[in-house]
Amino acid sequence: MIAQTNAELLKLRSTRTTVGLVFGMLALVILFGLLAGLLTHAGSLTTPEDQRGVLAVGSLAGVFSALAGVLLVTGEYRFGTIKPTFLFTPRRSQVIGAKLVAGVLAGIAFGVVGEGLGFAIGYVCLDARGIPLALHGGAITLVLLGTVAGVALWGAIGVGVAAIVRNQIGTIVGLLAWGFIVENLLFAFVPSIGRLTPGEAENALAGFTTNHLLSAAAGGAVLVAWVVILALAGLALTARRDVS
Amino acid sequence: MPVVLSEGLTKRFGGLTAVDDLSFVLEAGTITGFLGPNGAGKTTTLRMLLGLAAPTGGRALIFDQPYSQLADAARRVGAVLEATDFHPGRTGRDHLRTLSRAVELPDSRVDKVLGLVELTDAAGRRVKGYSLGMRQRLGLASALLGDPELLVLDEPANGLDPEGVRWLRDFLRTFASEGRTVLISSHVLAEVAQTVDQVLIISRGRLVVETSLESLTARVGGSVRVRSPQQTALAEALRREQIETTTTNDHALLAHGTTSDRVGDVAFAAGVPVHELVAEGSSLEEVFLELTSETQP
Repeated sequence: MIAQTNAELLKLRSTRTTVGLVFGMLALVILFGLLAGLLTHAGSLTTPEDQRGVLAVGSLAGVFSALAGVLLVTGEYRFGTIKPTFLFTPRRSQVIGAKLVAGVLAGIAFGVVGEGLGFAIGYVCLDARGIPLALHGGAITLVLLGTVAGVALWGAIGVGVAAIVRNQIGTIVGLLAWGFIVENLLFAFVPSIGRLTPGEAENALAGFTTNHLLSAAAGGAVLVAWVVILALAGLALTARRDVS
Repeated sequence: MPVVLSEGLTKRFGGLTAVDDLSFVLEAGTITGFLGPNGAGKTTTLRMLLGLAAPTGGRALIFDQPYSQLADAARRVGAVLEATDFHPGRTGRDHLRTLSRAVELPDSRVDKVLGLVELTDAAGRRVKGYSLGMRQRLGLASALLGDPELLVLDEPANGLDPEGVRWLRDFLRTFASEGRTVLISSHVLAEVAQTVDQVLIISRGRLVVETSLESLTARVGGSVRVRSPQQTALAEALRREQIETTTTNDHALLAHGTTSDRVGDVAFAAGVPVHELVAEGSSLEEVFLELTSETQP
């Protein structure tokens, strides 16, 4: 499957869409990093949780790694390249497996760049405003690694959902509506369920401790479970459905 | 071992039977034309042969295996199902590389097939700037990447200029002369008549004819166009001689399965004046149309 994964990574690298995603990610992280770091009242930036909100701003890159994962699948159905792809690799599970791996690898790249930049912006903003850092050692490591891991796993979630839905617009609209509306409503009104959504599990994984959130380890486990469930559903449906 | 074996292959979409109990065999070293009007089920059949669609009934084997079980499929079978299956923003060379890398073919092979289809100069350009003919050739290049033993091409002549059609014909001839096998579909018989050894003609999902091109050509009786001021009398005289006629749109008679000599003789014997007498050219296409319309309700 290494060969197929190489092919999938080349698919990402060889279109300008991916370049657009990278610039979109950078723009969003810079914008929200500066807004949160400079405009938030100093009194609201004192607790560790407050500062996580600024320092983990790179988690926004998860939107873009999910989109990269989605495009790896829906782009092929939209332009028909799924046919040559399956002709070259008739075992479809290998194709979807390679896309999942490529989605995670792309997600790691998005996460490292996005959170590296986001953390740096947040850190510089706090330092420039003379606000003492409330996070230390392991807590900072958790913010960095948890955010990168969360962003990386969103890449695989994008692949899984797209393999189930196949339609590009449907997948993207559905994922954005889920991530920005449904998850927030669920967490606000039914937190015992809302905390099990991928987005809130991702927050837990990055060390957030807001009421009702899972522990970091449990958050990581729930996020991985989402990836596994969506990937298995995507694999099963892809194996059964005709391609035209 | 046949290269391709289709046994009772059937595909139904809801109540519609797209492919109906289709059986045929392709032997190595042959070029087969898979013919039928648009919507006859050609592409659906090819999709089932290539593992892209599951048959409702029957089975399709390639080298004795279902395509999905074929080890090293890309090195044994090359196929193009649609000339438009490209990401418009990707260059021709990158399109081929995304495929070659998946089966660990070297980049040098990509350059080789680009040269074969004469796309080397355009390989660095994005596919959205390609003409339909260039896309056809890029598709063919992807099918040739694995240096396959069997080539399956769906309507490969669409969008090719006459020179391109000739180039494709020569290319396929050389390919088959090396003992390799070709299956090409088309809705225009004339497009492939000079290329193929045998034809499979389907209509409404059913196999109508499976024959060599020679025996199909032998069916062509030809027809004769004749005009006379006493058209009815002439038609009557021809009918007495067992010659069928039909009337054309411009009120001439078309005498089927006969020669202009014979029609002239019959007219003379009947004392009917003739104002026009023309033997119609090759009517292979008419035979094709006749065969494919036979099963229409």
